[in-house]
Amino acid sequence: MERAGQDTIIATRDLSRTYTMGKVQVQALKNVTLDIRRGEFAAIMGKSGSGKSTLLHQLGLLDTPTEGEITIDGVEISGLSDSESTRFRLEKFGYVFQEYAILPEMTALENVYLPAMALGLSQGECIRKGMDALEKVGLTERADHRPREMSGGEQQRVAIARALINKPKILFADEPTANLDSASSKQILELFRELNRDTGQTILMVTHELEDADLVDRVIWLADGAVMDREG
Amino acid sequence: MTSTTTELKVSAFLAYKFIAKGNRGTTLLTILIMALAFVNLMFTTSVFDGMGDATEKQVIDTLYSNIVIEPADEEIYIKNPDSVVKKIINVPGVIGTSAQYVTGATIAYEEQSGAWSIRAVDPADERTVSLIPDMMIEGEYLGKYDTREIIIGTEIAGGHGGSLEHTSLGGVVVGDTLKVTFTNGVRREYRLKGIFDTNFIQANQLAYVTEKEMESVLGIQDMASQILVKTDTKGEEDRFLTQFVELGVHEDIKPWTVYAGIVATLTQSFDALNALTGAIGFFVAGVTIFIVIYVSTVSKRRQMGILRAIGIKESIIIRSYIFQAAFFAVCGCIAGLVIMFAILVPYFIKHPMVFPMGDVTLLIEQKAVITRSAGLIISAAIAGFLPSWRAVRETILDAIWGD
Repeated sequence: MERAGQDTIIATRDLSRTYTMGKVQVQALKNVTLDIRRGEFAAIMGKSGSGKSTLLHQLGLLDTPTEGEITIDGVEISGLSDSESTRFRLEKFGYVFQEYAILPEMTALENVYLPAMALGLSQGECIRKGMDALEKVGLTERADHRPREMSGGEQQRVAIARALINKPKILFADEPTANLDSASSKQILELFRELNRDTGQTILMVTHELEDADLVDRVIWLADGAVMDREG
Repeated sequence: MTSTTTELKVSAFLAYKFIAKGNRGTTLLTILIMALAFVNLMFTTSVFDGMGDATEKQVIDTLYSNIVIEPADEEIYIKNPDSVVKKIINVPGVIGTSAQYVTGATIAYEEQSGAWSIRAVDPADERTVSLIPDMMIEGEYLGKYDTREIIIGTEIAGGHGGSLEHTSLGGVVVGDTLKVTFTNGVRREYRLKGIFDTNFIQANQLAYVTEKEMESVLGIQDMASQILVKTDTKGEEDRFLTQFVELGVHEDIKPWTVYAGIVATLTQSFDALNALTGAIGFFVAGVTIFIVIYVSTVSKRRQMGILRAIGIKESIIIRSYIFQAAFFAVCGCIAGLVIMFAILVPYFIKHPMVFPMGDVTLLIEQKAVITRSAGLIISAAIAGFLPSWRAVRETILDAIWGD
């Protein structure tokens, strides 16, 4: 269902997520309605427990909302089956997690081209695209290294390269610098800024660092599971 | 590339990486356990097959040869056995015949005595159908014109550690005089000319005299209780039976298998035991693989969640674990075969197991290798599927961030 305007890549309406913990119901998101424009670099910010990650998980199809609608790239995603959701994530999304979520058994290049391989690309194409992605994050010389031979910042850049290999519509980043030192954090954020500026990559990032707000186009402030007009 | 091919390729890639770059010690230990499980499955089968094979060989080589011709119904003897032999001796594949008298007798030495079966043979003919002439452990085999001389098996002689020592003659030696009372009442004394040992309890309870001697005891000539026929192959007895009938042999013709009830009984018992030990072996191998894969899925729980989050299908992840399990099983089978052929088979050829049917070595049959390997691989695949299927059922968020 095409609903939002052409510039809108993510649109939510009255999005709620309630978790049941024993006999207690915890409403992590309350009627969240927001639009993210194509090519926008947006940050989701708020205090701990405000629902930042929960919102990212709903938008990234890693969790299912209790109520409300999500439309991504013109597709109302509540109608997708599990396997369609998986394919949707593979084709349209890239993820960067807080921890360096790359496979220790694989080299940097193999980690990067795994999603391309899952799309059915040939070995040659996978390697070519993988090297291109590693070049974007400045790690071509580390292509054959395994994660244990790389620093935390380098591993996170491998994860970013992996997220970019299938040219995703949206790059989701869940506190990508939380485990990094300040120099590495700065590198990662500058990389995001470049990607957004040079290629128009839509990026939605959860962060709790207030200074990150200066780097992004827009900040979506959350408090107690609801969107605020400004920092609460 | 079709989506199925792509999925298989990614599954194989993940499996390869997990095995090749995973913990080498765990991989080698798992393969070793699979190899031992395979050896366990094959060893029991090979011993049983070896016992069956040894029994078959003994029945053919020492008791009945390949084919037995008996008197037609209601006849006691085959009349003019030479004429029967002439009809069949030129059939391609027939390599020997031996007409025999068979009778019961009581054999006594001093205070010891017992009832046994005595066969009367032409020694030269007997050599063409039986290996007993080559199994003399004391004295000599019979000569064509021997009279009042007898050879006996170790179970009759006693003193050779046989299973039936208590019913034997208590340790007679070559040169002793044995008193024999035949079923027709004739009593004669025989010089013990030789003692044979076939390693087969049934054949070691036989005694032999010459055909000429028996004819004088029975007061008949030119007859036989049975004619043993040796062929150059085993397993084609039915073809020979048909040919003999076509050549005008009207006596009762039977393959050796009819007399080998012990083999059928053994085979049936072994099949039941085989099925039982096989089922246990497959179960143990399956549980081993299950534990290995389960531990792997638990330790890679978060990794599996991340793979699913970035769009890798659950079926790809499950299949990668099935491939790993199958790899362990295939390597286990190969390593198990190496252990069997390089260590166990040569060992048991050098040190055979001693059973009542003779010396038994391991017999590894192709069919057993195929069925046991296939069974092990299937067990492993199922055992690989279950924990990985269970692991991907949890939500992505629980897998990545759960407790």
